[in-house]
Amino acid sequence: MRFERIGREPDYSRYMDLKEGWLDRRIFSDADIYEEELYRIFARSWLFVAHESQIPSSGDFLTTHMGEDAVIVARQPDGSIRVMLNSCPHRGNKVCFADAGNTRRFVCNYHGWAFDTAGDLKGMHEEYCYDAGDIDFKNHGLKNVAKVGNYKGLVFATFNSDAPSLEAWLGDFRWYLDMILDNEEGGTEFIGGCIKSVISANWKFGVENFIGDAYHAGWTHDSGTRSMNNGQPFPPIDMDNSYHASVNGHGWEFGTEGVGDLFLLGRPKVMDYYNKIRPKMEERLGEMRSKIFGSVASASIFPNVSFLPGISTFRQWQPKGPMQFELKTWVIVNKNMPDDIKEEVTKGVMQTFGPGGTFEMDDGENWENCTTVNRGVVTRHERLHYRCGIGRQIEHDTLPGIVYRGQYNDANQRGFYQRWLDMMTHDEFGKMPARPEPQLGNVAETRDLPGLFAL
Amino acid sequence: MLDRPLAPPPVEVIVAVTQALHREARLLDNEDFEGWLAMLGKDVSYRLELKSRRFRADRSPPLPFGPGVIFNEDLGRLKMRVDRLKSGFVWAEDPPNYIRRAVSNVEVLATQPDNEVRVHSVLVMHRNRIDGTTRLLTAGRTDLWRSEGGAWLLTAREIVLDHSVLPDSNLNAFF
Ligand code: FES
Ligand SMILES: [Fe+2]
Repeated sequence: MRFERIGREPDYSRYMDLKEGWLDRRIFSDADIYEEELYRIFARSWLFVAHESQIPSSGDFLTTHMGEDAVIVARQPDGSIRVMLNSCPHRGNKVCFADAGNTRRFVCNYHGWAFDTAGDLKGMHEEYCYDAGDIDFKNHGLKNVAKVGNYKGLVFATFNSDAPSLEAWLGDFRWYLDMILDNEEGGTEFIGGCIKSVISANWKFGVENFIGDAYHAGWTHDSGTRSMNNGQPFPPIDMDNSYHASVNGHGWEFGTEGVGDLFLLGRPKVMDYYNKIRPKMEERLGEMRSKIFGSVASASIFPNVSFLPGISTFRQWQPKGPMQFELKTWVIVNKNMPDDIKEEVTKGVMQTFGPGGTFEMDDGENWENCTTVNRGVVTRHERLHYRCGIGRQIEHDTLPGIVYRGQYNDANQRGFYQRWLDMMTHDEFGKMPARPEPQLGNVAETRDLPGLFAL
Repeated sequence: MLDRPLAPPPVEVIVAVTQALHREARLLDNEDFEGWLAMLGKDVSYRLELKSRRFRADRSPPLPFGPGVIFNEDLGRLKMRVDRLKSGFVWAEDPPNYIRRAVSNVEVLATQPDNEVRVHSVLVMHRNRIDGTTRLLTAGRTDLWRSEGGAWLLTAREIVLDHSVLPDSNLNAFF
């Protein structure tokens, strides 16, 4: 599938110089650039659509968006998962208005066209109005996406039939992802519902905050940290033993102290739980990853998913125009955790990173005002500074990806915008440079690779 | 379970509890958080559950750990929230936001034990943020209030927020 947009062919490289470390603010506010993002990034990337645990049984479904395209994600009788446009091929009406549920059929409200959970057209109200030859049932189902993939429970879909496999898309970043998705036998699940909120900010501000902006935490979240920590501010960061790692626009920033995010969750029982399973985690993922997990850390998967390993909030920034996104958040836990630990995690997440959480409450307005201030035509032509730590790139013998030393850094943000630029610029996936070249090789299972030195 | 309907509470009780609701809203609007905390029982529970939009005929079972909550607070947690607000480090509240609460549709119902009442009310919250943007939130509330030492104290509040997508970037406000 190719989705051409007629007319504009701007040179997006003039909106940034990542070697110098600056971005043009128009990428956060310009309506034409936003439209182009929908075509070139959202219609071509692998996009997160669900955790498989949200739709465990045949007929389970949920509704979400891929870019601004509304989709239904549905579990099939054979256990597979289908993703299809939530729009009727008759006049285009939205077909399903529920957030989630279980059903045998999706029936359109307008004229009663009825589809099964695979999206196939099965019948309609007053079917006799169509003569033989008027309608080909086979070709009038809900349009399915080009590909659906599942990485350790996270279900992704893409409209792009030319997209590489999901494994190749995630690439070496799987080594990092395994820390949250595979740190214990049994994998993960989402528990509780989904919280949705609308934020008047550009979607990229949410992604870049989680991909690398450890720097804001000590200042923005000062009040939250102090209220949870007997008046003490955020502890200083160990710049020698903390890192940014970037793989094709995905990124993870992290310390190696093992406890920071678990502490911020504010639920001692959860800390105890992870300390108990840590030796097993080390057997499973190797020493380095067992030290990283639980540290002060945050991560994003290109283009629009983020999470905090250890704090267990998982979220997606859904674009809704250049100056608005819808934030969806879930709680992710290990499936094999005892129920009381799962409940502790849920409590902790809501108290810290729910919309009424002590940390979450500080973020939204910053992103909103970083965005809306660009309504000013002079303001929007000013550059933004992304140069922090630009000279701190290192070769690390364990950590895959483009690695920078020091958690306070703009390195992952620069990696994210580099990938953004690559996708906005290149028509063909094959021509897009790998950043960096894959280091772990074409392995099926990255969990068992302790790191680079083992290769 | 009660086996017989209870007589409605005396008019004085209805007036006193309704006044308590109005007073509570005024204290919060004026950021008199200590005054508000003094209106809460020691055992207060303060909850806001998540909702999700489902078909009426939906066949799926309830989620194993419930729908999730936005607030599930006890007195200690509410005090922590107040401490945070008073810390002087909440940049998003400085200069202050303007919040105005309107309480209405108040129904005061008798319950057991005798010194408690169940109260339904509707809250409309108007927030004018530091950047000048305005948001309007509405919620239904079901409370338990208890008469203790001559005052009515809030001991339980279940909040139902009327928005499937929160129209605001945070819920940094008490309902
Ligand atoms: S638009 Fe769906 S049945 Fe007509
Ligand atoms: Fe933050």
